[in-house]
Amino acid sequence: MNTSFRKSVLVGIAGLSLAGTAAGCAPAQTPAAQGATPAPNATSAQGATPAAAAAYKDGTYSADGNYVSPNGTETVGVELTVAGGAVSDVKITPHPSNPNTKKFQGEFAGGIKSQIVGKKLDEISVSKVAGSSLTSGGFNAAVTKIKSQAQ
Amino acid sequence: MPHPGWTEFSFEGIGTRWEVSTPSPLSGAHRRRLLDAVEAYDAAWSRFRPDSLVAGAARTPGRYELPPEAAVLGPLYQSLYRLSGGAMTPLIGTSLERLGYGAGYRLRPEGPPLPAPRWEEVLDWQGTVLTTAEPVGIDIGAAGKGQLADLLSAVLNSCGIGEHLIDASGDLLNSGPGPGLDTGRAPVEVALEHPYDPGRAIGIIPLGAGALCASAANRRAWGDGLHHVLDGTTGAPVRTVVASWALAASAAVADALATALFFVDGARLRREFDFSWLTVYSDGHAEYSTDLEGALF
Repeated sequence: MNTSFRKSVLVGIAGLSLAGTAAGCAPAQTPAAQGATPAPNATSAQGATPAAAAAYKDGTYSADGNYVSPNGTETVGVELTVAGGAVSDVKITPHPSNPNTKKFQGEFAGGIKSQIVGKKLDEISVSKVAGSSLTSGGFNAAVTKIKSQAQ
Repeated sequence: MPHPGWTEFSFEGIGTRWEVSTPSPLSGAHRRRLLDAVEAYDAAWSRFRPDSLVAGAARTPGRYELPPEAAVLGPLYQSLYRLSGGAMTPLIGTSLERLGYGAGYRLRPEGPPLPAPRWEEVLDWQGTVLTTAEPVGIDIGAAGKGQLADLLSAVLNSCGIGEHLIDASGDLLNSGPGPGLDTGRAPVEVALEHPYDPGRAIGIIPLGAGALCASAANRRAWGDGLHHVLDGTTGAPVRTVVASWALAASAAVADALATALFFVDGARLRREFDFSWLTVYSDGHAEYSTDLEGALF
């Protein structure tokens, strides 16, 4: 079941202008010093694909997780179903021991969805994804290396 | 492609991939202007190159003259530092390095989490002038990607390219049709990446003019509970929030607020910032401002 957000008018772009503070359209003052190549701060491992769920075998996995939050220790039960190399279902069982979580839920009635499930990207029609899956090649390559060392 | 027939200019910059979409292909000169702006930003703010201004501040205390955009970053970080009780801080660089997220991508902790130094004790940030009392690890990663999107948008506007969409690997800035240019362009339908599965979306938001930025603990994560959103008061990764999205007029503000949502309730932030928000918690539930447009599933 979908939760529809209420209609609104998004804020306009005129609110905060940075125009003129950086490079304008005029040629840069020191073009010779600024190559057309991208910033070299990531190591040159472009094309490293983000880690995918495909590395995992089909099945259902579950685990309890404990962690210390600013509100104290929290526990959640997580159950993942993997089918065809993709996560097909996520069940998360909150252990309602945290009074603050309940309090927030009370305060934001109408602005809360109790469980996020999601849909496969190819089931929906969008032209952009807002998230952070495509981070730097250098970073992803380093993670891949560590994973291979861990095996 | 945000609209049929648009073209894209893609490049790597400040450690991530960028796609700039425009109705017509950008000329070589315009592309060069964009890349110059990226290089200038990187040269000032990158923690990952030894010749940057912030790398200098990490070695030697003193007075640093920063580029103009610092005058936007300083007050933004100052507000969020206050609202988060010091948890969100530009002084988090050393804490990130301690956990392995520094130049060279060692990605192995060097020891227990290291809290960030207190702003008021080591840093005086007035407009574009930074004065430091000791070597400090400045990391403006919470707002930098968004701010560079704003700067690139300003470059495009100054080149007469008023219609554009900038995608900084999941942080988006949509110029919209622009003043006096009501082309009837539909908003861009944007999926919200599932925090545990990049092949899924947890919702869709139509993006008109403005910025939609995300912060997530699932990426830039290097195992065993280590990811890049650290609490400055402890130096350890935040655990209760796993993903957040913020919509605001500027991408710098949206980007910074997306990270702030890891530390501060959205309703509290709304008292000081004009923005819409969505936060997904580690127990799987989501909270959002009631003015959000779109669907969540």
